[in-house]
Amino acid sequence: MQSEKKITFLDRLRTMRETEFGAFLPVLFALAAIWGYFGFILPLHDLITGEAESFRAIFLSPRNIYNLFMQSAVIAALAVGITVVLLLGEIDLSAAATAGVCAALLGVLVLSGVPGFFACLIVIFVGIIMGAAQGLLVAYVGIPSFVVTLAGLLGYQGLMQKILPTGNLNVGDPFVRSIARLLIPDMWGLFLALVVFILFALTTVRKQLQRKEKGLELDNKLTVWFQIIVFGIILISAVLTLNAYRSLPLLLVLLIAFTALLDWITKSTPYGRSLFAVGGNSESARRVGMKIKRIRVSAFAIVGLMAAIGGIFGASRYGSVSYTAFAGGSLLLEAIGAAVIGGTSLFGGRGSVWNAILGALVIGSLGNGLDLSGASAADKLMVSGAILLLAVAIDALSRNSAGGR
Amino acid sequence: MTSKKDLVGQEAPPAHLIVRGIDKSFGGLQALREADFEVARGEVMALVGDNGAGKSTLMKVLAGAYSADAGSFFLDGNSVSIKSPNDASDLGIQIVYQDLALCENLDVAANLSLGAEPVKAGWSFLPHFLRPIDNLEMESKANKAIKRLQVRTLHSVRAKVSGLSGGQRQAIAIARAVGTESSVVMLDEPTAALGVAQTYQVLQVVKRLRDTNHAVVYISHNMQDIFDVSDRITVLRHGQNVATYITSKTTPDEVVMAMTKGIDKNSSGSIQNAI
Repeated sequence: MQSEKKITFLDRLRTMRETEFGAFLPVLFALAAIWGYFGFILPLHDLITGEAESFRAIFLSPRNIYNLFMQSAVIAALAVGITVVLLLGEIDLSAAATAGVCAALLGVLVLSGVPGFFACLIVIFVGIIMGAAQGLLVAYVGIPSFVVTLAGLLGYQGLMQKILPTGNLNVGDPFVRSIARLLIPDMWGLFLALVVFILFALTTVRKQLQRKEKGLELDNKLTVWFQIIVFGIILISAVLTLNAYRSLPLLLVLLIAFTALLDWITKSTPYGRSLFAVGGNSESARRVGMKIKRIRVSAFAIVGLMAAIGGIFGASRYGSVSYTAFAGGSLLLEAIGAAVIGGTSLFGGRGSVWNAILGALVIGSLGNGLDLSGASAADKLMVSGAILLLAVAIDALSRNSAGGR
Repeated sequence: MTSKKDLVGQEAPPAHLIVRGIDKSFGGLQALREADFEVARGEVMALVGDNGAGKSTLMKVLAGAYSADAGSFFLDGNSVSIKSPNDASDLGIQIVYQDLALCENLDVAANLSLGAEPVKAGWSFLPHFLRPIDNLEMESKANKAIKRLQVRTLHSVRAKVSGLSGGQRQAIAIARAVGTESSVVMLDEPTAALGVAQTYQVLQVVKRLRDTNHAVVYISHNMQDIFDVSDRITVLRHGQNVATYITSKTTPDEVVMAMTKGIDKNSSGSIQNAI
């Protein structure tokens, strides 16, 4: 009786994005397109027009990739945190300022003789408190998160200036510096990647076998193998590329580990499920007895945690803390942009922390590529704006086609 | 007014949930005046009345969303108290609200287990909310629930709710209410927003609930649906009971008359039908 609905392009887009793995594809394509443009097309164009004498594959050189990863790491850490509040349909504008305060505090602490390890623990704790405080205002006082975190953005920027009256401080602590400097030896890095890959493949296959055993609907075989192979290729080639320049830096391992942990928490635990439920339909979540207010506060605490980690990464990588690196808005906008470009919905209820990492790479690659090709800061801003707009447009369209509202 | 004190007649099945003399007022407005209500296992009790008659208020009192100013509750003959939604769900009373409250961004299985996700064993060193969800167990449970209600049009419990039809969503919401070991299921206008085919589908699900020995409370404006699915009909007017009819022994006209005008003491014909 019911006529077959015509499957439009948007429907396809939506169904694709709803599968766990399919949500990665748009941002992977975006990344591939950007890398292809800066890595092949632009150098080729220069070669043909005679602007360059040889094919200059600077962008895709291991050295540049290494720098690209490191540059994107701070953005990625913040974007991963912001993704968690975006899942709730909230926003956090203060993440970069929180990271700034944490980095400044870290600098001051190690300067006054606190051991680096304890200083890191202290700033992580402070970051969590700063995030949770905003969460309390959002959840219990009922102020929209946009306003609370806008106030937080201003207030924390001021606080950072108070901590760093000169606006700049060198961080020489060996522990803090080692996070970005310590390299995992080539063989160990490769070994680690292999172990992770085998674990991933085994759990995927085991899940499929268990489904078969319980008589549940099976995943498409092709998708499963595609998933495993793509994951393996990306992982191993990333490690090989990094090894070709230096080695796998500890900072990236830490970033991936934190992201994996958060991914597990958001996707596989009752707490994570409640994040999605509140973001999708908070009334529904309330009726089944979820503690919505506590969930809100905890999500903001997670942003604080990731902001503190981002601050530590930044301080470690630059060997200094400066007001301009964190405050002023560009880091914040890049982080929010990264989360959204990754495919996390601004409307709540859909997204993944892994996508935030890919989104951060997109933002980082754009900046890096435009820098290399000699574009001006103005061009950079305009292209970034266009990409962000495109990502949000895709989000809005795929939501509209879901029908209902 | 007339037959308030003896709702249970010869033909009525033994009631599972009985409430007596419920009063509820909001400020100066008295929404329920000594309202009585009962429902037995294995029957569909329709609750009808004009707008503002107190149907929704009565239902929310039963669900614990409102607490009654006065009145007593009996479950299987035992006196119980319902002060909060948790009391109601502990007693096995579940409600399916008109707006369903499903999470469209989650799949069917996740919606069915929402708030009570099964977790894998062996992770007891973690707090409960951080233990891994047993997705396979969740899907098996969902499959069973869907099968029990015979929702044939649903192909996969891994489908996102945003892609389902109105009737399927209603069925999912009902399945969620039933899934939690409930004995009383209250449905608020379940077919209000549905087309013909989907209404049929939902009514089938309601009949399945009756067949599985649930006590079903069915609130609706639609006389056709009520006469299709219900066993008895309780009519409310201005927050008071008018009468309870056996569906097979009354007509839509009579029920509508009772809803809008109440029962005249002299018109003895209708009171005989009121058990």
